[in-house]
This record gives sequence, C-alpha cells and structure tokens, in this order.
Amino acid sequence: MAQNPRPTTVLESLGEELIRIITPVSVCMLLVVLLVTVLIDDASSSSETVTSIATIAYDETVSDSSWDKFVGALLNSLVFVVVVTVVTFVLVLLFYLRCTRFLKIYMGFSSFVVLGFMGGEIALFLIQDFNVPVDSITFVLVLFNFAVVGVLAVFMSKMAIFVTQGYLVVIGMLVAYWFTLLPEWTTWVLLVAMALYDLAAVLLPVGPLRLLVELAISRDEEIPALVNEARPVTPHDSQGAVGERRVWRDRRNENSSIGNENPNSNSNLGEFGNVDNDSSLVRAEEGRIPDRDQELSAPLLEHVANVQPRRQEDVVASESLLLEGIGLGSSGSIKLGLGDFIFYSVLVGRAAMYDFMTVYACYLAIIGGLGVTLILLAVYQKALPALPVSIMLGVLFYVLTRLLLEVFVVQCSLNLIMF
Amino acid sequence: MTIAAGIGYALLALGPSLSLFVSVISKKPFLVLTVLSSTLLWLISLIVLSGLWRAFLPLKSSAWWPYGILIFTSVVFQEGLRVLFWKVYKKLEDTLDAFADRVSKPRLYLTDKMQIALAGGLGHGVAHAVFFCLSLLTPAFGPATFFVDRCSKIPFFLLSALIALAFVTIHTFSMVIAFNGYAEGNKVDQIFVPVVHLVAGMVTLVDFASGGCIIGIPLLFFIAILTLLHCGKMVWRRLTENRHRQGSM
Repeated sequence: MAQNPRPTTVLESLGEELIRIITPVSVCMLLVVLLVTVLIDDASSSSETVTSIATIAYDETVSDSSWDKFVGALLNSLVFVVVVTVVTFVLVLLFYLRCTRFLKIYMGFSSFVVLGFMGGEIALFLIQDFNVPVDSITFVLVLFNFAVVGVLAVFMSKMAIFVTQGYLVVIGMLVAYWFTLLPEWTTWVLLVAMALYDLAAVLLPVGPLRLLVELAISRDEEIPALVNEARPVTPHDSQGAVGERRVWRDRRNENSSIGNENPNSNSNLGEFGNVDNDSSLVRAEEGRIPDRDQELSAPLLEHVANVQPRRQEDVVASESLLLEGIGLGSSGSIKLGLGDFIFYSVLVGRAAMYDFMTVYACYLAIIGGLGVTLILLAVYQKALPALPVSIMLGVLFYVLTRLLLEVFVVQCSLNLIMF
Repeated sequence: MTIAAGIGYALLALGPSLSLFVSVISKKPFLVLTVLSSTLLWLISLIVLSGLWRAFLPLKSSAWWPYGILIFTSVVFQEGLRVLFWKVYKKLEDTLDAFADRVSKPRLYLTDKMQIALAGGLGHGVAHAVFFCLSLLTPAFGPATFFVDRCSKIPFFLLSALIALAFVTIHTFSMVIAFNGYAEGNKVDQIFVPVVHLVAGMVTLVDFASGGCIIGIPLLFFIAILTLLHCGKMVWRRLTENRHRQGSM
C-alpha cells in the first residue's frame, strides 16, 4: 500500500507570526545580557554614573538611604517623562505640518549617531577588555561603514530583511545598554514610569500617540518611525488566495537616540532632540479588499458570539480569537516598535546585573506579557500600548524572584534536594 | 572552572532537551509557544511555593524531615497544577479542532496531540533545569569550583547538572504519560505520574546522608529510565492501535 503523505494539520503553521516577532526580541535581550555580563564589573559600575537627562534631577550615590534614593529616582523619572511628552507633542506638530522629510532625515541622523558613536564606544570597551589588536584607522573605517550601512538599512526598505532586522536589533541593543548604566533605583522607577506614560499616551484621548495614529489613519500615510517588521508569512497552501489583510501594526516612534550623553562629549547633540520617544501602539488595520474582509471578519465576529456564552474562561475565548487573528487566513505581518525592544532589554539587562536567575524569570515574564498584549489586541481591536503589561510583569517577577525564589532554590539545591 | 566547564555543565543538564527542541519542537511554531508558556507556568508554581515556604527558611540543615515535608507539599502542588494544565489543554484542543474544521483542514492527529504533550513536558523540565541548575552555574564560569560537604568527592555543579538531567527526563515524559492517561481514562497512567514524581523527590532526600549521593543519583536515573520505558511502551501501544484502526477502516 503506497504511503500517501498525510495532509498537514493546523499545527504546522499556527503561531508562526508570533514566533517571528519573539525571535528578534529574544536575540536583542540575549545580546544585552551578554554585553552586561562581559563589560560590567559591579565594583566599578556604581562609582561612575552617566550624567544625562535621566539623572538631571538627582544623582544617586551608594551612601544615601533607601527613601532618598526612591525620591530621587521619582524626580529623575518625572523629568524624563516630561521631556519625552514634550518631544512627542513636537513630533505630532511636525507630522501635522507635513514636515515628513525633516523627520526622516532626523531619524537617519539619530541612527547614525547611535550606531557610530555609541556603537563605537562599546566596541572600544570590548577591544580594551579582550586586548584585540586593531589600529585606529581600520577601526574608524570599519565603524563608519557599519554606521552608514545601518542608516541605509533603516531607510531603504529594499534591503534584505535580515539585514534590516539585524540593524534594528543592534540599535536597540546599543541604546538599551546605555540605559542600563543608569543608577539602579532610577532605572526601575523609570521603567515603570515609561510603562505608565505609554498607557496614558495611547489610551487617553488627548495622548500624543493617539493623535499621531489618528492623523496617520486619516491621511492614510505611514508614520516615519523605526519599526521592526516580522517577515510576512505566506500561507503554505493558499487555497483561494488570501487578501492583503494586515492584522496588526505595532508602531512606535523613536524620535532619536537616547538622552545619555557621555561625560566626554561636549557637543550639543540635540540635548532635547536626543530623547527616546517610546510609546508603542498596537492596532489592527483592515485591508482594502471588501469581500475578503467580510469573509474573514465575519467568522471572527461569529466566533466571538459563539465563544462567549459557552466558555467562562476568558483566556480560552481570547485565545480562540487570537488563533483567528494569527491564523492561516491573514498574510499580514506583525510589527513591533523599537522602543519595546529597548525597554524590555533594559529590564533584562538590569536583572542580569543582579543574578542570572532573575534574568530567566524576567525573560519569561516579558514574553508572557507580550503574548497577553497580543491577545488583548485581538480582543479589543484598537490601538494598544505594548509596554505596560510586560514591564509590570517583569518588575513583579524580578522582585518576587529576588525576595522569594532565590532563597528557596539555593536552600534546596545546596542540600541536593530537588523536585 | 572556566567557560568550557560552565558550558559543559549547562549542556549536561540541558543537552537532550536542546536536541529534542531543535529536532521536534522548533519545526512547529505552536510547539515553541507551548514550551514557553509551560515554562512560565512552572516558574509561577515555583514562585508560589517559595512564597509559601519563605517564612520557614532557612531550614536547619541537620534534620531531614522538614525537607521531606517541603518536597511533599511541592510535589502535591505541582501535580495539582498538572491537572489544571490538562484542563486548559483540553479546551485548547477543542478550539484547535473547531478552527481546523473552519479552514477545512484535518483535525489534530494523535501524533500532534502527543507532540503538544511533549512540548508541555519539555517546558516543565526546562523550567526545573534552568532554575535549579543553570541559575546557580554562574560561578562555574570563573576560575574555581565548589564542593558540598555531604558529597565531597564530586563538584557541586556536576551533581546538580546530573540531577537536573534526570529530572528533565522524568518531567518531559511524565507529561506525555499523564496527558495520555487523562485522555484515555487510564487509571494506571494517572497514578503513575504523581507517584513517580513523589518518589523521585523523596529519593533526593537520600543525598542527606553523608556520601548518600552515591546511591541517590543512580536511583534517580533508574527512575528516569523507568519513566522513559513506560512512556515508550504506552506510545507504541497507542500508535499501533491507531494504525490498526485506520487500516481496518
């Protein structure tokens, strides 16, 4: 009897788009953790703090009391969030006045600065640590080329997607590494503050990002921003082809590079402009093909109606919607903004400064939070911020691991008691 | 002792899981998501357990019975969580089947269901290995090593890696046995898994005696091999039954 190949089940391709967005996020986090473990020695890190916008209000020293540190961190974060808000509003204004060319040039410029200067500085640290024999002329040449190719990759969407994604991951990694150089309390409070800001900026009617998105929708234009796009998934066996339906679009505005000036640079490299603007939105956009949409969206609504009364668990209901959304019917690709990369990596990098157990716990928390955010998106079908859930879960798991899990596990392991 | 040793210990604990991951799981994105969510679930269970026991730690290291109670409560909690995991999986299976019907693809095969169970078990095993072994390996990458008093001939990292390897095997294949037991209503399988988990936990108590690890660790591996054999037998039986059923149709 001839063995006919069995028809493939849904298991083959389900969830592919989700994996395609989780992979770059994980790679970025891994790189930041590696950088942090290789370059940072706890003894020296606390003594030199980077003066930047994020530490204008208060510079943390080891000897202050916890309450002082906390208040100082709050002040720092407040200043940072205010600056970010102002810059976002400026961005909205510029977009409204159709200065897109200016915005694009500025984006390219900031990418060049990040890749060239920050990348160069980190490369110098690495060269020092590992005693790599390389002369300055070669170094400058290679760095310059690297930075220029990066700018082109970010701008021209015609490059190989692997190169573009790679460069976005590298930019995210560099910015995240600089963020981890901030003092400890400031970093944590800043993360929470940015998550709250993100929530406000996207959901409040007066929030700058919501205005931006609505402007873009009404004009049917793309927002000039640094966005990481997962590879579009082509359905494996397209029976009766699939419409151009974009299921989600995550957008983020990264206005420019991060506001960390290193103490040596005296150039006013946009003290103001160099503030990271990282609000991320997630929204669903229907394609322009009418009957495909009806066909694909009607089952979605019908499924909602069927699912709700039958099952109590929200998780499963939303999961079924998620399956509908990611499922075989759509050829859209998920886009995740660069700020999300950066702040997730900052969280994990900070966790790496304590111990690896916190790194694993925070990584799992962030990935879980990302999944929850995408499920919420499938349920609500409107612009949603991607930072809050993951950051809150990450911070929660960090605290729990540090306080509870570590003692438990070390106690058991050292006595060779495991279960 | 240097990076090579550190990587060696890590691979000792996680090598088979890694090869399983690369060969079976990485091909299907849904299975990767299952592994990640399963790992997250077991991490949460560990955190809850540590929260419960935090008030009593650090335990006096001389008496063994507090640890016995600790293991007992932890295993009971984790087995309860496994039942919960099964219930969620059942709902998921119904959803997937309904979805498959809608896009006119065949429903989940038996092998698909077993693969999902395997992915779930792998998540459990990886969670154990990562938190009990890998997270403590950081000093192993440096220039020295560490010995515990009770088992002073073998470096601590090697011991924890070996124990982690045994437990990864036990957890991974227990999930397959458990899911199959719940699906078929097979009482033997349903009882087998918690009992094996409890026995394996208790066997590690043997390590309490000085030099006890010489007996404890081989016993643990014996249990792991037992789980493997049972799982293999069960899978073989189900697959041949399935094939007969399909052949006779």
